[in-house]
Amino acid sequence: MRLRIGIDVGGTFTDFLVVADEGSARVFKTLSTPDDPSRALLQGLTEIAESYGLGTDALSRAVDVIVHGTTVTTNAVLTRNGARTGLLTTEGFRDALEMRRGIREEQYNNRFANVEPLAPRYLRLPAKGRLDRDGRELVPLSDGDLESAADTFRKEKVEAVAVCFMNAFANPDHERRAAAVLREKLPGVYLSVSSTLLPAIRFYDRVSTTALNAYVGPKLRNYIDALLEKLAQIHFDGILRIMQSNGGVVAPEIVRDRAAMTLLSGPAAGPRAGAFYGSIHGLGDCITVDMGGTSFDAALLRDGQPLFITEGEVDRLRLALPMLDITTIGAGGGSIGWIDKGDLLRMGPQSAGAKPGPVSYRRGGTEPTCTDADLVLGYLPADEFAGGRIKLDVAAARKAIETHIAQPLGFSVEQGAVGMARVIDANMAAGVRAVTVRRGFDPREFPLIVAGGGGPQHCCAICAELEIPLFLVPRQSSIFCAAGMLMSDLIHDDVRSLPSRIDQLAPGLLEQRIDELIAAARATLRTEKVADADMAFQPSLDMRYVKQYHEVNVPFELGAKDVVARFHREHDRLYGYQLEEQKTPVEVINLRLRSIGRTVKPSFPEMKKSNADASSARKGSRRAWVPERREFEDVPLYDAERLHHGMRLTGPAIVDQANTTLVLTAAYDLVCDRFGNFVGYRRDAVKTLPKSIQELVR
Amino acid sequence: MSIDPILASVMQRAFKSITDEMSLSLMRTARSPILCEAKDFVTGLYDARGNMLEQTENLPILSFSVGPVCKYLLEYFKDDIHPGDVFFHNDVFSFGNQNNDVAAFKPIFLGEKLVGWAATKGHQADIGGAVKGGYNPQATEVFQEAIRIPPVKVVDRGRVRKDVWDLIFANIRLQIVEEDMRAEIGACTVGERRLKALIEKIGLERFEEHRDYLFASTEKLMREEIRAIPNGVYRGEGKIFFDGRHPGSEFTIRVTITVEDDHVTFDYTGTDKQTDGFVNGTYTSSASATTLTFLQMVNPDIPHNEGMLRPLKFIIPAGTVLNASYPKATTFGNHLCPPNADAIQKALASAMPKRVCAGWNHLLCALTTGRNPRKDEDYVDIFFMGLKGGSGAMDGIDGYDHIGMIDASGGLLDQDYEMFEQQTPHLLVKHEYLRDSAGPGHWRGGLGVDTEFVVGSEDTQLVTFGDGDVRPAFGLFGGKEGTLNFIDLKAPDGTVYRTTSKDLVKGVKKGTRFVQQAGGGGGYGDPRLRPADQVALEVRNGVVSVEAAKDAYGVALKPGTFEVDGVATARLRKGA
Repeated sequence: MRLRIGIDVGGTFTDFLVVADEGSARVFKTLSTPDDPSRALLQGLTEIAESYGLGTDALSRAVDVIVHGTTVTTNAVLTRNGARTGLLTTEGFRDALEMRRGIREEQYNNRFANVEPLAPRYLRLPAKGRLDRDGRELVPLSDGDLESAADTFRKEKVEAVAVCFMNAFANPDHERRAAAVLREKLPGVYLSVSSTLLPAIRFYDRVSTTALNAYVGPKLRNYIDALLEKLAQIHFDGILRIMQSNGGVVAPEIVRDRAAMTLLSGPAAGPRAGAFYGSIHGLGDCITVDMGGTSFDAALLRDGQPLFITEGEVDRLRLALPMLDITTIGAGGGSIGWIDKGDLLRMGPQSAGAKPGPVSYRRGGTEPTCTDADLVLGYLPADEFAGGRIKLDVAAARKAIETHIAQPLGFSVEQGAVGMARVIDANMAAGVRAVTVRRGFDPREFPLIVAGGGGPQHCCAICAELEIPLFLVPRQSSIFCAAGMLMSDLIHDDVRSLPSRIDQLAPGLLEQRIDELIAAARATLRTEKVADADMAFQPSLDMRYVKQYHEVNVPFELGAKDVVARFHREHDRLYGYQLEEQKTPVEVINLRLRSIGRTVKPSFPEMKKSNADASSARKGSRRAWVPERREFEDVPLYDAERLHHGMRLTGPAIVDQANTTLVLTAAYDLVCDRFGNFVGYRRDAVKTLPKSIQELVR
Repeated sequence: MSIDPILASVMQRAFKSITDEMSLSLMRTARSPILCEAKDFVTGLYDARGNMLEQTENLPILSFSVGPVCKYLLEYFKDDIHPGDVFFHNDVFSFGNQNNDVAAFKPIFLGEKLVGWAATKGHQADIGGAVKGGYNPQATEVFQEAIRIPPVKVVDRGRVRKDVWDLIFANIRLQIVEEDMRAEIGACTVGERRLKALIEKIGLERFEEHRDYLFASTEKLMREEIRAIPNGVYRGEGKIFFDGRHPGSEFTIRVTITVEDDHVTFDYTGTDKQTDGFVNGTYTSSASATTLTFLQMVNPDIPHNEGMLRPLKFIIPAGTVLNASYPKATTFGNHLCPPNADAIQKALASAMPKRVCAGWNHLLCALTTGRNPRKDEDYVDIFFMGLKGGSGAMDGIDGYDHIGMIDASGGLLDQDYEMFEQQTPHLLVKHEYLRDSAGPGHWRGGLGVDTEFVVGSEDTQLVTFGDGDVRPAFGLFGGKEGTLNFIDLKAPDGTVYRTTSKDLVKGVKKGTRFVQQAGGGGGYGDPRLRPADQVALEVRNGVVSVEAAKDAYGVALKPGTFEVDGVATARLRKGA
């Protein structure tokens, strides 16, 4: 038996999906260990080994590939607990990072504050030394400034330093020298150097991306080192791959120094998994949502493809690296409820995470969380949570809600819990609006594909808020991203600047440069154990009309003559005009290469259609809140393990799975599809559903 | 047919997403850094009658004149509007706000029926007239400022009217302006495609019903906001210094704001007469200034469409400095927004103390033109990063650092430093927060900036326009004022010339150091109430000096540290 394992390290839980070569799949979940996330990972591998009746060494030998994503870096930024970070930059420019080009995103909102910078001003230090716009030295780099900066960083116990100098995109020499000095003077400090990470013009984009990389670097580096060490202990010699924000996977040695490429590592696998589950029912346009312990991610799929951006933001901070277009907000099971100065009930973005965790975990948490509210509302099984490994303390949850929420607002405990759920549901609905309505799409036309441990408890409420009639909860919903990871290919994005008018390029030069990039990428993919037959290379050109300052990316096939014509067409499609007739010269700025190493995808076994009805899966009832009726009722309770293809339920109902609980509120019904996934729909809207779903429901 | 409120809200968001996409299109295709880097433009959608559906207001001061011009176009061309037409407009005497802000309009048809308009308006790098780049402080009439484009049709049913097109661009210096107007048309086409698809999907009748519902619900939101302001008559003043021609000249803006239940009137009767220089507003630039200032005092989530504007009335008498008569020069008009905003904040401070701001730093801007030796071509640069000072503080929140004048409110971006050096021949030396520039207060004003570059072209021409060099941003309720603006030119031979606020300096030598300070915003509330730890941290960060911590905030630090000396601070703060 050969195994492939997808591992998603979240802020609260670490999820595992193990797929055997014959197609069977098993799901595991352990509590994350944020101080050393690799501990939870090893703990999980131990449990997996036990479950297969193997020792850890034998398991190691049976595993071909571990693919793994982490929200370690994302959460560090969202909760601002990354490394103590310093910035070394060209004298005169140390505020660019904080100024963010002077933007205030909400122009009419005078209460809208700037973002806290990742490095405080007293740790943003200047160095004399200047390159001109073409990379020629105007002022030599000051050794004295480097030394004194290193001293300050040491005294201030800085854990990471970003180095970004003016015009370093054109000449990396000064940055390399500075990095060498810092490396020597500050052993163990994480260095993030702009000309290595992002050798592209635009100072603000580069300084922001480099600082983000520094801020999250030590966390990721420590994590990967610990992980490699632990895997070595159990003699794992298969392939380890790390999920990147661009939806592809990569070898750990590569990503260690490029931590910012994992800023959306966890959620990046979600859209891929969503595309897979949507395709079962022919749903190409859908929204994937993933509610974990700390964050909530939403992404839009069009025609089964995730949307992609080459520059984006994390918490209003510029990140100029290719990534999937995912909106993340601070809402999860661990989100803490609190009362703001205006006496309004708020949820998050602070999260109790895995440590101290929700109050009901009894691991030291004192502030009430979303999970605590869900428990009080009867949505979670107190005795069988996380497969029975965590006993939830209802009394403690009630007490915390009473002290922190109910009493200050003059509510009952139940009212407090209902309020907490409503607020967080509204927050998540706003996250879904951000990926649909704000782009001019009507969310009602997009089924919700629901993931994460918390998603299935809240999906009906989110759908109700947005009037979405259809949702799908995959059987593997609680480890959705872990599943997506096993479906992802290796992806490397490379860029090389080659600014020139296209009609003035030496013949064959483009092809030559692309060949060089491909050769390098092929070598990298080989070190990642990809066979040549499984490699694909997608070169493209960033092109523009002369004197423009932004480019259009146009796919480029080797030997193709029509790339200029394609550029004109693409410019017209995107921007409403083209200048072919005016014979305006066209420039190439960058050559890009996306290199793909195809991986073997898991296949899940189909279930036979069951003739039994759902009552065979009934396991009693639970007192739970039914929002449509605004009261607690004895709600029928079902065991997911005994719900088979073709069975259906009428809301209100609760379905307990080993690692999550699906809450079906009164307006919704549910049917189990041939892979055992749960398809939920609003009972009064069956006629509006896609045909494939109507057939399933009938 | 019944109204579906969700559809109305989706339509509203769809409009916004279309105007955002138009904005992205123009930003990514334009050549002039004023457009592609600083985003000095607006994109919008309007219905068949010229009512605003939604706008992306990168620069609010340009934004509230597009609707009125659209209505004027309809009246002017009547039934001579056809699918495939494109119109240009900039004329300040037919609802334009500033000569350099040139609009492109594209009508949108379903079949033969006009259903809406897509429009863009951007600050063009040149617009003819006596001075390259357009700011001519010596101008007394519009003819010395710009080529006037009352509406003209430049594309007729898909065919460019070459004679008309060439007439316009024969009167404009820079080739890139022609390219950038093509980019404006392109962005209109993007808007046309998307709005057309949206209306086709919804159906015209249903679209119109829901548009009306959207306008009505927006109007209601706005009226509710106004209802929250106590009824009354409120008066305020703002000062304009120097008309560019008469040193020491001063002008006063006087506003009387009448809040009556659910509507509000801004009456500028009593404002000083127009100047004989270019420091004059136009009706739409002044009404835009008033609108954008007031919008900052109400719920920022109200959609920007015709309904939002209905409860607002403006009385701006012709012949005043805010509404000059033909053929007066008016290029400075957009920049009367800061003193106008001062007048409104001061007027409403007593009625809504938690909604008004202390004074924002006023704009002082520099524009350089010359020949770029590296590219052997002419360039025009508006030096955006130097001009952005701090905003005024308000109850509960510090002013925003380096946000820039209130007419942009953080929508106008710095050039990226490296792009600036690619686009101009200059070498940037410094761009950092300016210590002690923020007006002290319980909540301090936003920080200003200190900027310096070395001029990189021979025989460079420098134009300044703005204010804020005579009186700093005012404090409110015990908060203190911010700092002043200035621009110094330090020639290679050591001579220093401090520019006036409306200057035209010719023959600036290569190697001259351009040094600019943009001041901070005003503070709000007694500075001695500001938490001492916060002051200490700002000293550590180098944005407040040890002396200012002591003198302005009454916070003493233990010598050689950034720790608060509690005893000495208590003594200093006694009586606060």
